[in-house]
Amino acid sequence: MTYEENETAFKARIDAGDKIETNDWMPDEYRMAVLKFIEMHANSEIMGALPEREWIPRAPSLRRKMSLTAKVQDEVGHAQLLYRVAEDLGKSRDSMFEDLINGRTKFHNVFHYPTAHWGDVAIIGWLIDGAALVTQRALLDCSYAPYTRVMKRICSEEQLHLRHGEDITLELANGTDKQRWMFQDGLNRWWEPIMHFFGPPSNPAKDVLLKWNIKSKSNEELRTEFLDHYVPRILDLGFTLPDEGLHFDEGTGHWVAGEIDWATFWEVVKGRGPSTEIRLSMRRKVWDHHRWVREALSEPAWNAA
Amino acid sequence: MNSQSVSELKEEQRTSLRSVLLGIADDELIMGHRHSEWTGWAPHIEEDIAFSSIAQDEIGHANLYYQLIAELDQTSVDMIALGRTAGQYTNAVICERPNRDWAFTLARHFLYEVAERIRLESFRSSSFKPLADASAKLLNEERYHEMHADAWLRRLASGPVEGRTQLETAIGDALGESAGLFEPYQLESEALGSGFLPSSSMELLHVWLEEVCSRIEDAGLPFNISPAPIGEVVPTASGALMGDASSDESVPAAKPAIQRKDGLWIIEGPLPGSGGRLGQHSAEFQDLWDDLTRTYREEPQATW
Amino acid sequence: MFQQKGHQDPFVHVGSVTAPDAHMALAYAKECFFRRREGRDLWVVKRSHVHHLGDPSMLDQITDKSYRYPEAYRGVVGKREAAKAKVAAMTGAGPAPRSAASTAGDEYE
Repeated sequence: MTYEENETAFKARIDAGDKIETNDWMPDEYRMAVLKFIEMHANSEIMGALPEREWIPRAPSLRRKMSLTAKVQDEVGHAQLLYRVAEDLGKSRDSMFEDLINGRTKFHNVFHYPTAHWGDVAIIGWLIDGAALVTQRALLDCSYAPYTRVMKRICSEEQLHLRHGEDITLELANGTDKQRWMFQDGLNRWWEPIMHFFGPPSNPAKDVLLKWNIKSKSNEELRTEFLDHYVPRILDLGFTLPDEGLHFDEGTGHWVAGEIDWATFWEVVKGRGPSTEIRLSMRRKVWDHHRWVREALSEPAWNAA
Repeated sequence: MNSQSVSELKEEQRTSLRSVLLGIADDELIMGHRHSEWTGWAPHIEEDIAFSSIAQDEIGHANLYYQLIAELDQTSVDMIALGRTAGQYTNAVICERPNRDWAFTLARHFLYEVAERIRLESFRSSSFKPLADASAKLLNEERYHEMHADAWLRRLASGPVEGRTQLETAIGDALGESAGLFEPYQLESEALGSGFLPSSSMELLHVWLEEVCSRIEDAGLPFNISPAPIGEVVPTASGALMGDASSDESVPAAKPAIQRKDGLWIIEGPLPGSGGRLGQHSAEFQDLWDDLTRTYREEPQATW
Repeated sequence: MFQQKGHQDPFVHVGSVTAPDAHMALAYAKECFFRRREGRDLWVVKRSHVHHLGDPSMLDQITDKSYRYPEAYRGVVGKREAAKAKVAAMTGAGPAPRSAASTAGDEYE
């Protein structure tokens, strides 16, 4: 078979809802798109550990100290699962890591921002994990089977994180004025980045991820799903959202966000967010300083199945 | 003796029991706190996950001991764990030292885990039953910690030259000050008399020294012991200890005299790394304490 | 010998075979464990390459690790109602409007 014939047969498999395994033949465009997508997901998990871990040392009780450590540990665990899947597509973990710390590959916009206090832990745990879960659930049906296998586990752990995050939120909501202020202040700073998280409007004709059924839902669909679920729950707790255009459309029965400023989004994902450089430079420092650790661990390789 | 019969104790016995529990609880909390600082940053992803569990375990151990103190004092775990001034923490100074890098972290982890196991084994015969019971339980978790520390020690000692050199230097840096894990507790003689402490800190120090030094030798590593701040520990008439702060400014660093004499490993002269059991800490502890208690202090009456 | 049932399932150990090399082992394994098409793929791994933890008590959770499980957060439902009641008492406002899908409720009640 020629490359084109292979590609046509492959597209037919995708359109029939078939799942692709690592050793199956796949067009370069598919391999590159899946790799880039999973690599960015893995990058986001490992970078996503950083803002939250800032509050492990400052957690307000021993119980929260342990549970937040466990939660961040799970996120690192997700990165581990995802990098393993990405590695099998033909890019080594070391080169993925080097690309990440040198700003050559991307990670989600929300992990480029600083944290200010414990209220941010509530926001990240409930709303950012909530947003992530909305997008991740939609990926359980991805055409690349090894990814869906790890997504199954990731989603079930994210479900736990969501409860953990809501539990922290509710203690603040039920707490003192200062505690309620913490959540509201976090909300004011994080709401726009969360709207950005789902990405700008998709163009189905051009979207290679939709074409290969790597992703099956558009960015708008996902954003609306998030708004519908979380907006009423936030309002019911007596908090306000910093979006004057946000409203419930009686006609469609859905919540609709006001105008979103995409210029900030593009700046941030291109690596010019408020905390991008500090976090990447810390990672570079740890990476450069510990070359000897990689050397010591590399012989013999123990990449168990 | 169980927690209930504690009320029948003389005030001094009670205070001595409390000082033993607080010393070990603070060691565990501060060690767990430092370990947890690696979560998200460790130089290898699988290691990040494994070491994070060890951090959680250590904080979990602290939690268990603080519960025993909370029962004695009729207070809450968090009030003890997070509600004290910096000078009221009685952890050994080695625990509060910043992580520096992976080599120092591992070296300290190895030295600490051996110390913890020796201490737990001794506590199993404590006359204070809750402590004896807790120690027997925690020993089980200790096995994983030691398996982890040992795997690293072996791999680095027999691995490429740079890792081996890093480990050598780090062990040399941490060894002297780690002896401070066996600085006597306040009112230790009282605690020994009541059987709360089955063995004195000095006895355990020698067991520990013997084991860690032979294991370093067995791994084929040389001893390059770095200078450590020396705290002078002088028992007073009341059994309390007077000590010089081992804070970085006030005490000159000296090279601990750890050596083999007549087939036994010994430390000659004053105990390196001491002062912590008296609440005398390094300047680095102040930063740790600021972090540790920061959110708690913002609203001490709140539930979180 | 490990087998996988469906695309989303993990590979699970199902048995072993005696064979001189990996190719023969696969050939045997297929008929010993897969002749009724029990799954979609299979692996063989040399037994000497399998290392096990040994003592299962190493897996015991000695101190309280309940925070790693969803059950630890059962209380959120009660806390959520308490917070709503507190806000309603403060502001007198009713619940915010919800989409049809969202009125189905929270996933973990």
